[in-house]
Amino acid sequence: MVPMSWYLALGAVLFTIGAVSVIVKRDILSMLLAIELMLNSVNLTLVTFSSYFRELSGQILVFFVMVVAAAEAGVGLAIVVLLFRNRQTVDVDQASMLKL
Amino acid sequence: MGIEGLGINYSAILPEIILALTGVALMLMEAFWPSRSKRRAGLVTLAGLGIALMATLQLWGAPRQTAYAGMVIIDDFRLLFTAIVIIASVLAVFLSWNFLEEERIQPTAYFALLLFCAVGMALLTSSHDLIMVFLGIETVTISTYVLAGYRRNDLRSTEAALKYFILGAFSSAFLLYGIALVYGATHTTNLSAIQAALNQPLGEAERALMMVGAAMLLIGFGFKVTAVPFHVWTPDVYEGAPTPVTAFLSVGPKAAGFAAFLRVSSLIFGADFDLASAGRALQSDWISALAVMAILTMTFGNLIAIAQTNIKRMLAYSSIAHAGYVLMGIVARDWQAVAFYMIAYTVMNIGAFAVVALIARRGDEHVLIEDYSGLGFRQPTLSFPLTVFLISLTGIPGTAGFVGKFWLFKSAWEAGFSMLVIIAVINTVISAYYYLYVVIVMFFREAKREIEPVPLPGAFGFTLAVTVLGTFYLGLLPTRVFYYLNQAQTAIAHLIH
Repeated sequence: MVPMSWYLALGAVLFTIGAVSVIVKRDILSMLLAIELMLNSVNLTLVTFSSYFRELSGQILVFFVMVVAAAEAGVGLAIVVLLFRNRQTVDVDQASMLKL
Repeated sequence: MGIEGLGINYSAILPEIILALTGVALMLMEAFWPSRSKRRAGLVTLAGLGIALMATLQLWGAPRQTAYAGMVIIDDFRLLFTAIVIIASVLAVFLSWNFLEEERIQPTAYFALLLFCAVGMALLTSSHDLIMVFLGIETVTISTYVLAGYRRNDLRSTEAALKYFILGAFSSAFLLYGIALVYGATHTTNLSAIQAALNQPLGEAERALMMVGAAMLLIGFGFKVTAVPFHVWTPDVYEGAPTPVTAFLSVGPKAAGFAAFLRVSSLIFGADFDLASAGRALQSDWISALAVMAILTMTFGNLIAIAQTNIKRMLAYSSIAHAGYVLMGIVARDWQAVAFYMIAYTVMNIGAFAVVALIARRGDEHVLIEDYSGLGFRQPTLSFPLTVFLISLTGIPGTAGFVGKFWLFKSAWEAGFSMLVIIAVINTVISAYYYLYVVIVMFFREAKREIEPVPLPGAFGFTLAVTVLGTFYLGLLPTRVFYYLNQAQTAIAHLIH
């Protein structure tokens, strides 16, 4: 049997890749993808714990995360479409009317 | 486990059920019986919120109990915060009344989103399980992403929605990873069960997981309650979002976020753990991290607010600073102080934003502080209430802000965080500068250009009247509110078996 730590390490690596990509990437669609990656790495972690502990609540949470991720993607894409209509670009550096 | 083991108890979540049904009813009404009248949608929304508030109040005094297999809890803490978020939503409906008309926005969807956000906030206040915390936060934020971008053709509004969305989803992922790691360390997501698991020694690996998980939870909650260094989204979103939405964002979701933060903080890290337990070791780290966060939050918020020329941005930084004061209450583990502060803050901040929304007018055109010059005696119906709210936000005696701050500072002092209180007092002095600067501009500066007086619509008049009265009531006669708060169950850290 594969040790639990391997799965956890994979989850951590995926989460880090996702988090770094959100910060580094400049176009919104890639950022959305990176956020999905982060959420799915969490799912992997939860499922791992859940199956090794023989305890269900982790897997239940995974279902909720999937639903939330879908809703979030829906709203996120709508915002991207809106931004594209107003600006003709999906580059976040162009969205700088409000000073940081 | 039989069906009764699931603990199904509809009365425990009656406020949420009512709010959700009203939201769905609004959307169905629009499908089968379309009308562009905001009056109908608004009245249905207000009715739903009113009934939900009554459902909340009639649960008052009920014994502490959990429902749905420990997912949801009813206690005075939950009821009080649910009442606060419902009142904030009611005030937001009144604030949005004219905005919807001016911007020609389809009212049903807007109000439905507001109601769904209220469902999320109410669930957040009642959550007794990390799964519920996550779901509540997501219900709130997903509806507010849309609300922030509601002025669809305005670049600022779209940009605000985008920034809010990216950073909100990013922080949710951190929160969720934190939940996963805490689950890994304790084998459960139930807050009481986590507390029980922490009350004994944990293995090396579990301790590490718990440590990282706690840090991730802190990041996630920090984003939601706009604590420094996780506050970067706040000024942009508050500036870009339509002013009524900003007003709502700065009180409702924030109060709910603080409620969940407080519950998690007190249940997981605030209990009286045994000496050798894992919780004891974590506790001091968690408290000091929170204390540092509180200091950073209030200091940064106040210092940067001084430099702002846009009043919405100034109020955004002020809202960050106030989050810092509230964090002190979490450090001191005094939920009554936090609750009172949130009531006071809701009243005065909604009032301040109501005036800002009126003066900004259609399309948020006049939002610079210099637009307020000469307003003082030309439009006393606006300038005097705004002065009251700003004085209250500063925390001058006689107003709600003073009593709220006093209570928070007192409980932090009694809990032994005297350094924190001293820094908070210095911060209050700093904040007086930028709040009173607006008052000076209003009364002692000549208008640079002629701006025709703003009409005062009935809905705004009502909001202003309620909030001014509320500010003075809480500031001068707070005994009744104190009485109810002191009657409420004090301990949230109490274990439930």
